[in-house]
Amino acid sequence: MSWTIAVGVKQVPDADEVGIDPDTGRLDRASAPAVMNGPDREALEAAFRIRDQAGGEVIAMSMGPPNATSVLEEAVAMGCDDAVLVSDRAFGGSDTWPTSLTLARTAEALDADVVVCGEETTDSSTGQVPPGIAAHNDWAQLTYAEAVDARPDENRLVARRDVEGGHEVVAADLPVVVAAAYGEFEPRPAPLHRKIYGENDFEPTVWDAEDLEIKDEVGLEVSPTSVGGMETVDPVERKSEVVDDVDDLAESIEEVVA
Amino acid sequence: MSDEGEGEGESEEHENGVVDVDEYDDVWVFIEEHDGEVMSVSWELLAEARTLADELGDDLVALAIGEGLDDVAEQALERGADRVLVADDPVFEPYRADPYGDQFRAIVEERKPSIVLIGGTHTGRDFAGRVAVPAHAGLTADVTELGVDEDGLLEARRPAFGGNVLATILCEEHRPQMATIRPGVFEAADPDGEADGEIVEVDVVVEDDDCVSEVLEREVGDTADITEADRIVAVGHGIDGDLEPARQLADALDAEIAASRAAVDEGWVDGARQVGQTGKTVRPELYVAVGISGAVQHLEGMNKSETVVAINNDPNAPIFEHADYGIVADLFDACPDLAEELEGVTEPQEVVQ
Amino acid sequence: MSPELESDTVADPNYDDEFDAIVVGAGLAGSAAALTMANRGLEVLMIERGSSPGAKNVFGGVLYTPTIRELTDFENAPVERYVAERRFSMLTENDETAFSLRPGEWHEEPHNDSYTVLRGEFDEWFAEQAVEEGATLLTSTTVTGLLREDGRIAGVETDRPDGTIRAPYVVLAEGGNSLVSEGANLKATETRENVAVGVKEVLEFPERDGVIEDRFRLTDDAGVSYHYFGEGAVGDAFGGGFIYTNDDTVSVGVAYRIEDAATHDQSPEETLNAFKSHPAVAPLVRNARTVEYSAKTIPEGGADSIPDLVHDGAAIVGDAAGLVLNNGVHLEGTNMAVESGYHAGNAIARAAENGRVGAEALQVYPEALEESFVVQNLEHYKWMMDAVEEDRDLLFEDLPRAFADAGTEYFRIDRTPKESHAKNAKRAVLDAVGGWTGAAKLALRYRKVVT
Ligand SMILES: Cc1cc2nc3c(=O)[nH]c(=O)nc-3n(C[C@H](O)[C@H](O)[C@H](O)COP(=O)(O)OP(=O)(O)OC[C@H]3O[C@@H](n4cnc5c(N)ncnc54)[C@H](O)[C@@H]3O)c2cc1C
Ligand SMILES: Cc1cc2nc3c(=O)[nH]c(=O)nc-3n(C[C@H](O)[C@H](O)[C@H](O)COP(=O)(O)OP(=O)(O)OC[C@H]3O[C@@H](n4cnc5c(N)ncnc54)[C@H](O)[C@@H]3O)c2cc1C
Ligand SMILES: Nc1ncnc2c1ncn2[C@@H]1O[C@H](COP(=O)(O)O)[C@@H](O)[C@H]1O
Repeated sequence: MSWTIAVGVKQVPDADEVGIDPDTGRLDRASAPAVMNGPDREALEAAFRIRDQAGGEVIAMSMGPPNATSVLEEAVAMGCDDAVLVSDRAFGGSDTWPTSLTLARTAEALDADVVVCGEETTDSSTGQVPPGIAAHNDWAQLTYAEAVDARPDENRLVARRDVEGGHEVVAADLPVVVAAAYGEFEPRPAPLHRKIYGENDFEPTVWDAEDLEIKDEVGLEVSPTSVGGMETVDPVERKSEVVDDVDDLAESIEEVVA
Repeated sequence: MSDEGEGEGESEEHENGVVDVDEYDDVWVFIEEHDGEVMSVSWELLAEARTLADELGDDLVALAIGEGLDDVAEQALERGADRVLVADDPVFEPYRADPYGDQFRAIVEERKPSIVLIGGTHTGRDFAGRVAVPAHAGLTADVTELGVDEDGLLEARRPAFGGNVLATILCEEHRPQMATIRPGVFEAADPDGEADGEIVEVDVVVEDDDCVSEVLEREVGDTADITEADRIVAVGHGIDGDLEPARQLADALDAEIAASRAAVDEGWVDGARQVGQTGKTVRPELYVAVGISGAVQHLEGMNKSETVVAINNDPNAPIFEHADYGIVADLFDACPDLAEELEGVTEPQEVVQ
Repeated sequence: MSPELESDTVADPNYDDEFDAIVVGAGLAGSAAALTMANRGLEVLMIERGSSPGAKNVFGGVLYTPTIRELTDFENAPVERYVAERRFSMLTENDETAFSLRPGEWHEEPHNDSYTVLRGEFDEWFAEQAVEEGATLLTSTTVTGLLREDGRIAGVETDRPDGTIRAPYVVLAEGGNSLVSEGANLKATETRENVAVGVKEVLEFPERDGVIEDRFRLTDDAGVSYHYFGEGAVGDAFGGGFIYTNDDTVSVGVAYRIEDAATHDQSPEETLNAFKSHPAVAPLVRNARTVEYSAKTIPEGGADSIPDLVHDGAAIVGDAAGLVLNNGVHLEGTNMAVESGYHAGNAIARAAENGRVGAEALQVYPEALEESFVVQNLEHYKWMMDAVEEDRDLLFEDLPRAFADAGTEYFRIDRTPKESHAKNAKRAVLDAVGGWTGAAKLALRYRKVVT
């Protein structure tokens, strides 16, 4: 028994470098370098742990523009066995509904037993894509997973989930979509030769909407939500007084709480 | 590849999931409960949704899924719901995404609400997509502001790009307009004691045999509600596992302990006390950040605090730009010293309480 | 019907002997070597421990470019400003006596081959030039040791799993903190007297535009390089302070002997703060915000400290080989790093063409370096460090004090005749240097600075 584990990795603008252009007051996203979504590195680690237990292959999948190949090369460098980029102009304007449909179809095409995603992306931060994939395929899901335990003999995957008011251990039948809780899966270092290979010599497969037979089910047209407007938020004004000793700080605090 | 189970067979549906929006009305709020214990975000939403419903001339409907929900339904009525729908069955206890999602979706497809609000807890964010995807509904995640435009369309606003921007998300041609809302951003209204709405038992459409998941174990953790606290001492990665200095300070200030995600991830503080984008939004009169660097995701959850104080030994820590008062110091010295100085400041308050 | 995966993935990639040479460190020396070798058709792997080349490099700021210009198209390089003024200041606790140069020629191309740069950007660009020539760059990977086979160096070990890789040649371009070369006994650990510590801050001026142009009297792309010595710069330690102007930031820092830094009760950071608050310096950096802080070591053993540059299967270049000229008047390492990388790269390419890996096959590298300005300059100024060390109190404390006093005296306005002021001024200097005989001895000792 060995499992096929697909991992959703997304290319996002480097969160540390997205800023507001001081002159125009507009969001300066284009100049930020494109990197792998941080939580997706942890998704990869969770996938490798599942592979360690159950055996099989980890395949990275990304829906994005042609230059998103770089995050897939990185994924292969980190230890994925293969990678596929799903790229098509038709995807433009997709919200989470068609995005999760695309990834759901990709996972099906890969014959995935398990899909692992990050908790959320740093650019759209909805966390809705993993449940969306599960819903499109009518698969089980395990979100906010802090630990994973593959049970190949039961054909189930068990996860410890972080939930309101505590934790729970849930077993799900395959196929299953896992969203790895951010901060819980410290990515292992990429092996040297794999890193050289992934970054320099590997090229991912590319599929388009036609290949997945979803040409008419993606893009702006099928997206239920649209962006009605964007306002920049003025940062909250703070006094930013830095005092030198504890007495002064105590005084300021006393004024507040008195 | 199959398309079944995606709501495409619905008669009133046009192409691409577009529907006749006039067939949909009422504002729904999901009442999240675990073991009879209702999450406070549900009451926050109920209060906020009352305003929306009144504005739209719609009914305010509460929806509860679980087992033994009589009390919960009663409370929802007391807190202003015009009607409560309950799906009461052992299959729903404890929570699992698939039965919840299937049940919720069945009720939605049968009764056609216009707006559905769900608390942005892990539970809410877990199953919301299982409703929205098959229903081809619009789902906006992690909303912090709600409104309606002149056409009665829901305006769901949410921070984007590290809180630099507030994006308004609309759902024009699909229904329902769903949103998950971050805990702590709205005030919960007190129950008015009157419960004159009706309680409707809905058909339970799921069976245990169909479920694809099984809860093996459940541990109850800290259920503190930091969103109600007037004073908060929040700890970050800088405490290095030692909560004592911050506790001393919190005691002196009669404050609740909260934490950054880094401190939660280390297991030093329970997740219920996490502040930020993926935690709670708090708005105390005093917020003391101890050993917290001030990442955007953290700031998002505490920016509404009245006064912010920062203790950090790195003069370049971004938190100082987002604090009213700060001190560049080792927290292991500063916290006990400060605690000593402040001992008794809040005592009069304790006497009054 | 479902689409197929078409990537022909290699399950167990192995790059042993796939590269002709491995370069340890993608700093200036490393990239110069990689660029040279790639240019000559070698397969080159550069291994850099930072998340990008330059991410971990501290450096005050003037890049000397005569060799880089030869190696690559320098036009698009990310430089900040060209150096239009050099200024040397002696500081006592409160006084400054300065000497400044602004030759017209420096305003013209190629600007005396002196530019301020930010290494984070520049090193990334320079490594990119090597990559464009065909070299492979691997970041976030630290070389932890050398692989030996039959007594010769045959590859490197890294901190990654599956982390050993074989190649016929290794270029050690790891900079001043050369743990790999030392660990492999290719060079002795520097004695403390021969190592300086440099700390640097990059400052920006958030309040308004044009601050740098106004304060340093600059137009367009012109910039300055200010050097400071004496007590007011780094206390009684052996070293100095500097300020360089970048495009819209300034780099300010101090560099001094690690030996002093260790025995001194001030941390390097405190020394830098004291320097920044000196009355002659503070106005230049007023209302600035620190955007970057960093610290690093500088080898300053000079010609005597150069280790054997070639070994069986390896060559050492740049700071790792101690190739820095730091004598108070000059602080040059960048040009030497690039020059040495270039010669080492050439030597390896030649040896590879002939299929030889022994040290003697690489001998053309040290030979070429001997001939070049690198060793010539280091030899030329060898005496200077010793002399300066010997005259340390005089040069760093007494003389700055004397010059300040002399100047004060010479220009004193009061009701006594100027003649007596001049006399006092002269006396202040002569006292410090030990009379006319002392002055003559000093002049003789330091004549080589200018001859
Ligand atoms: C998708 C996503 C969602 C996230 N959601 C959240 C969220 O909801 N909430 C949240 O908080 N974060 C969230 N984060 C994480 C966030 O980006 C930061 O990593 C996190 O907030 C850092 O926590 P910290 O400030 O405690 O730790 P650090 O950034 O490590 O900062 C520790 C600070 O302590 C100081 N310090 C160390 N020792 C001492 C000492 N002895 N005395 C005084 N000061 C000391 C240091 O100078 C430093 O500034 C999220 C990240 C992602 C990607
Ligand atoms: C404060 C200061 C001011 C200076 N000012 C000037 C000046 O104005 N003008 C001038 O010409 N020179 C100046 N220098 C000297 C100059 O910076 C150096 O001579 C020059 O950078 C040397 O280049 P290099 O390539 O040999 O080493 P470096 O630039 O130090 O590069 C070494 C590279 O190797 C990497 N590395 C190290 N160890 C490993 C390992 N084990 N595995 C993988 N990678 C590794 C490092 O990350 C780094 O990228 C100054 C130096 C300092 C510290
Ligand atoms: N375009 C995409 N390609 C691949 N994976 C994605 C994509 N978008 C989202 N994901 C996955 O879904 C997770 C949650 O994303 P989001 O719902 O956008 O916050 C991410 O961490 C990824 O693992």
